[in-house]
Amino acid sequence: MDVVEVKELTKEYYLGKTLIHALQGIDLKIQEGEFLAIAGPSGSGKTTLLNLIGCIDLPTLGSIKIDNTDIGDLSSDQLAELRAAKIGFIFQSFNLIPVLSAFENVEYPLLRRKIKKNERKERVMNALKNVGLETFAKHRPDELSGGQRQRVAIARALVTEPKIILADEPTANLDHQTGTAVLEVMRGINEGQGTIFIFSTHDPKVMSLANRIVQLMDGKIVP
Amino acid sequence: MELLNLKLAFRNVFRNKVRSLITLAAIAFGCISLIIAGGFFEDTFLQMREAVIHSHLGHIQVYKKGYLDKGSTNPFDYMIEDPDEIKKLIASVEHVKFITPRITFSGLLSTGENTVSILSQGINPEGEQAISVIETVKGANTGVGIEAGENLSRGDMYDVILGRGLAKAMGSKVGDFIILVSNTAGGALNALDMKVKGVFFTASKEFDDHALRMPIATAQALLRTDKVQTLVVLLDKTENTDLVKNQLVNLFRDEGLNLELKPWHEMADFYNKTVELYGRQFFVLKLIIAAIVILSIFNTINMSIWERTREIGTIMALGSKRYEVMKLFLLEGLILGILGGLIGVTVGTGLGYVISLIGIPMPPPPGATVGWVAHIRVVPQLLFSSFLIALISSLLSSFYPAFKASRLVIADALRHF
Repeated sequence: MDVVEVKELTKEYYLGKTLIHALQGIDLKIQEGEFLAIAGPSGSGKTTLLNLIGCIDLPTLGSIKIDNTDIGDLSSDQLAELRAAKIGFIFQSFNLIPVLSAFENVEYPLLRRKIKKNERKERVMNALKNVGLETFAKHRPDELSGGQRQRVAIARALVTEPKIILADEPTANLDHQTGTAVLEVMRGINEGQGTIFIFSTHDPKVMSLANRIVQLMDGKIVP
Repeated sequence: MELLNLKLAFRNVFRNKVRSLITLAAIAFGCISLIIAGGFFEDTFLQMREAVIHSHLGHIQVYKKGYLDKGSTNPFDYMIEDPDEIKKLIASVEHVKFITPRITFSGLLSTGENTVSILSQGINPEGEQAISVIETVKGANTGVGIEAGENLSRGDMYDVILGRGLAKAMGSKVGDFIILVSNTAGGALNALDMKVKGVFFTASKEFDDHALRMPIATAQALLRTDKVQTLVVLLDKTENTDLVKNQLVNLFRDEGLNLELKPWHEMADFYNKTVELYGRQFFVLKLIIAAIVILSIFNTINMSIWERTREIGTIMALGSKRYEVMKLFLLEGLILGILGGLIGVTVGTGLGYVISLIGIPMPPPPGATVGWVAHIRVVPQLLFSSFLIALISSLLSSFYPAFKASRLVIADALRHF
């Protein structure tokens, strides 16, 4: 079954006075359980595509359906609810909230849900355990290494049990060994829980872990 | 969610300590300025009010009905006939501390060389003594001060005290003899030889320039009457004026007495206008201070939003709605406002106390002859309003940056470095 369905997706924006054609008519279907890599050089439109699927940017033309809901029909609050319920994000530079501990960062997306405190705590600790950081719960981001921070970010994306986790160059700021470890954590979750991972990368070693690779070039999918 | 938002807002406030301290200092400084300026005005108004009341107005004046309308042309037609009975009746009302009779009449004062028209007050020396004491204001002057010689006292008969301006104009000194000429109640002309016993001054220069005071018995002899014109009522506290006024109105009506009365605030025109004038000035001052506080917090929160654009993008990507982001930043403004306000109120109260210990020497206000020592009167209402201004200014100035943050396109915010 298709969880994400992208049709004729076009995104244009101005950078200064230059019109950038970031995506030019993308068609893409993503199914349950996929571990999908979006590959391509810088400027090929990887991040734009992820942002659009993640409902944090709006397309110029075309449509995106998530679980059969056309996101073009949704208000900003409804999009926020959709993100909270179905989508997790992992960012290149981790984007943890610096004033919160690892535990609180992971807890944050759960707080808008009506979950009892004990259950919430259990879920946060499970998510941290999943990424091997249960002993670092009380550490603030600046007390963690790059790899640990990215693993906290994965736990944060994971804790709401989303259908899709989007990861924009998740290993770009990590050394090779740490990057591979992080990807293995992601892969384990994908295999264990069936969570769809869509991640962008231009690292061939990272691509090799994916079960499908979508190659982008100048805003188009290269067959 | 609320608890974590509060925690988040609190930690964000203290993330950039120096910047937050500067903002807190600005809010606290605004609050302190309001308290010191407001406390100064409060004290000035209070001292002025009490000086006006205790120099000659008293809290309430009682007359025969019609006196207020027509008494200035025919004063002797509106005299209170049985003052002792009425005094007893008024004294039975709660909060009434003292009642003293007066007769005010115009006449001519002559030293042999100069003759001027004057305002003459027949008074009961002990009664006026009681009125002139200002008990409720710490460190205040008495309502009537004696510059030279002595005040009138019980048993005086042909003694007068002259207002400072009048004595100067007449060139009269203590011990000099003067002649006082006036119409009697019946309309004939009468004169008395009097001795200057002292020179007095009050808060009102106008009064001091034209007035003399003499024992009421002497005035009654001069005017050939045994009635009095005014009963001046002194209360325990100025705040009880309207309460007692209403009770007296009812009492006079119930007893069928042909009397009317006027509270001090309907007579103290100069005081009322001064309060209105300075009240407006203080209002403008409040606006200026609020503007400074708003600009300073606006800058801090604006900077902080700019720095945290990516973080805002992150929490919105995680599912926070726009109004939740706005709430977070407003909460930060609120925390700054509460902390700054509390610091301001505490330091302002302390500083006000210290300044009051020393006192601020002030020149005589317009229309007055005596300077005074001003204090900072910190009343709860002032603390409350200063705190509220700090709070509202902080919230107002966070509003725009908070709104701006909540409108960011998430993808753009995430790209921000």
